[in-house]
Amino acid sequence: MFLRLITDNFARRPRRKVLTAAALGLGMAVATAALSVSLDVGDRLAKEFRSLGANLVVTPDADSLPLEIGGVDYRPVNAGAYLPEADLPKIKTVFWRNNIIAFAPVLEVQAQTWSPASRNVSAPAVSDKAAVIGIWANHSVPLKDGSFFETGAAKTSPWWKMEGNWFADDATQCVVGTHFAEKSGMKAGDTVNVSVNGRDWIALTATGVLTSSGPEDDAIIVPLQVAQKLANKPGQYRKLYVSALTKPEDDFARRDPKTMNADELERWSCSPYVSSIAYSIKQVLPGSDVRVIHRVADGEGMILTRVQTLLWLVTAAALLASALAVGASAAASVIERRTEIGLMKALGAGSATVGFLLAAEQLLLVLVGGGIGYALGLLLARFLGMKIFGVPPAPSLLVLGVVLVLAAGVTLLGSALPLRRAANYDPAPILRGE
Amino acid sequence: MEDRRALNRNMFWRVIRRMVFANRGRLFVILLALGAGATVTSALLNLRVDAKRRLNSEFRLFGANVLITASEDSAGERRTLDEQFLTRLESESEVAKFAAIPYLYSVAKVAADGTARDAVVAGTHLDLLENREPGWRLRPVHASEYSASECVAGARLARQLRASPGSKLRLKSRAREEECTVAAILETGASEDDQAFVQLATAQRLSASEGQVSIVKVFVAGDSAAINRTIGALRLKFPQVRVQPVRRLTEGQAKLYGKISGVLTATVVVVLALTALCVMAAMTNIAAERKNDVGLMKAIGGSVRRVLRIFLAEAALLGLVAGLIGAAAGILLSIGLGKAVFGVAAEPRLVVYPVSVALTVIVAILAAYPLRRLANIRPASVFRGEE
Repeated sequence: MFLRLITDNFARRPRRKVLTAAALGLGMAVATAALSVSLDVGDRLAKEFRSLGANLVVTPDADSLPLEIGGVDYRPVNAGAYLPEADLPKIKTVFWRNNIIAFAPVLEVQAQTWSPASRNVSAPAVSDKAAVIGIWANHSVPLKDGSFFETGAAKTSPWWKMEGNWFADDATQCVVGTHFAEKSGMKAGDTVNVSVNGRDWIALTATGVLTSSGPEDDAIIVPLQVAQKLANKPGQYRKLYVSALTKPEDDFARRDPKTMNADELERWSCSPYVSSIAYSIKQVLPGSDVRVIHRVADGEGMILTRVQTLLWLVTAAALLASALAVGASAAASVIERRTEIGLMKALGAGSATVGFLLAAEQLLLVLVGGGIGYALGLLLARFLGMKIFGVPPAPSLLVLGVVLVLAAGVTLLGSALPLRRAANYDPAPILRGE
Repeated sequence: MEDRRALNRNMFWRVIRRMVFANRGRLFVILLALGAGATVTSALLNLRVDAKRRLNSEFRLFGANVLITASEDSAGERRTLDEQFLTRLESESEVAKFAAIPYLYSVAKVAADGTARDAVVAGTHLDLLENREPGWRLRPVHASEYSASECVAGARLARQLRASPGSKLRLKSRAREEECTVAAILETGASEDDQAFVQLATAQRLSASEGQVSIVKVFVAGDSAAINRTIGALRLKFPQVRVQPVRRLTEGQAKLYGKISGVLTATVVVVLALTALCVMAAMTNIAAERKNDVGLMKAIGGSVRRVLRIFLAEAALLGLVAGLIGAAAGILLSIGLGKAVFGVAAEPRLVVYPVSVALTVIVAILAAYPLRRLANIRPASVFRGEE
């Protein structure tokens, strides 16, 4: 009888039910979209923040102090320590390897340069102190599992603007900084000769002109192996930039790992804080000093925390508003059926039975409406995600659960108030139509 | 004629008044829905307007976004800037909205207690550091002004020299020698960790370049358009120097700000749509209950247009009242939210108020769409008690 009442009800007034389910579904769709986007936004923004460049820098531990002015290290090549390039693939074996999105080793050399192109401008044929910066442009690092990790300076410094092409990492090619090109009259395709001691010259073909607005503008950028040959330091580098996705640091993250007990240490190293990633990189690169570039990491953490708080507040508001909408439409659907309730009670149904029947009906609607709403909301979230970040957020079952529970909760709450009034109805006047 | 019109108007408002107050519970629900929508909308709009300014100031943490250096001479040798340049820069009224700090770099032998290292010595106005480089960690915090004989040591330099606050540093460059007391340790994670920061005058004496600076770092507040405008203005005013944006920041900032404001705008639109839904549900309810009223109105000769006009006026009135109250509450809310999120109360923007009231009224009228069904009601069937 119970089931028949419900099915009858749905069959008899399909339009009403569809309308209520639609209202429910739309409300839930919006809630789903808002939740999915704000669950996802932290990760997305963290990725966007990598456009500000690396947040970790690795240098040799036993190093003499770099004499770095304006981004160029003026130490002679025989001063200071170096790190072996062969260790680099180990970075992708640390616990947070998937959070490390790029790294690029750097070796700087002061060199003499001479370019045939400089005959066209009134520049001296041989320039004494040009910075030669050895980097990986686009490098495939072989990993243990047989796959390759694509990385390089083009990934750690996405703001670099390139006219022409990057060099191949194994060729004797180079890219010239925009000021250097201007001074020496060089263009892509020209040749430049570089040497450290004035005797062993290496001829490099320029493949492009680079604008970075940093020290690279005045330098020649060469493949790392060319710089190693110039400096006579095969297989070595001096500085490594690492770009990692991190979680904003809180007070806990700033504590010194040495003062933590076992539990805390585990919690600390299992959160992708920038400091714990730095710690794990230091473990795999012997003799290295891994430092957090505070300016980047702190600024990022601050802005991320703020935007995330803001979004959670906004999502809470959206959830509240959708709860109101769903509750109101549930209330409306109960009020409409006063006559029916009156009839049922006249026939001897108790308030509890009536309430139970209506609640079952509403919950059925919630399941259908909420399910449809979830699907719609995912589409909406996809659209918003694509529009804003170019990547759709991953659908999460957690959101489905939250949305259904929320919908059921507010629907029952919304129906409960008019139901309580309905419980007090006197059947006679309602049936008379008063 | 005049009398009839006045009578008509009287009747119109009387009907509306009666309708509005007929069911207090429902009135409360509609006002609550519209008011909540207006509150959230105006709070979000206000935050969205304010967030731009806030975020721009947060971007200061990343450091200077414009660098000014001397252009090179014909030999390609890097020169220094005249210190007077800074005073001229700051006196330029158009570009007053930025914070500048000069640096003079040189290499010197830095020694403490017998340990000596070659290091970069940076001369600057130490008192400006805290304000101009908010992303740097200076420990301990220096309360009073730095004296002429105090300096700041980079964390790695201090570690290698085993220096701590209070230690004496001796700086030696060719024949010149200076001495300073470490007042604070600086940790940035970048090249500054390896440097010693002294007062500008000390560095100038040390490197025999009195009255000179190597670079002026400038932070320009605003978006990338504002930064580019400032750079253009500076290049026009000072053609003899090299003015460069820090592309890493200018590009990144524009991109990030675009994403963040996109997220905020999307949520504002979503919340508005929700409010409309909520009011629409309530209005559907009204339409069902009002059948008898409409039947009666039509039976005594009310035209469909006139009846609809009454309902629309009712919706608009509700929207206006809810909007006026809700928008005001929203602006108050945004002040609180701004405090919670950015630590600084959001400044109320007056333009937000009329905009959110207007939006609420529009939503209320649009949400009255279900009432359209009333036009098809036939008085006779209503009176017969049919559905």
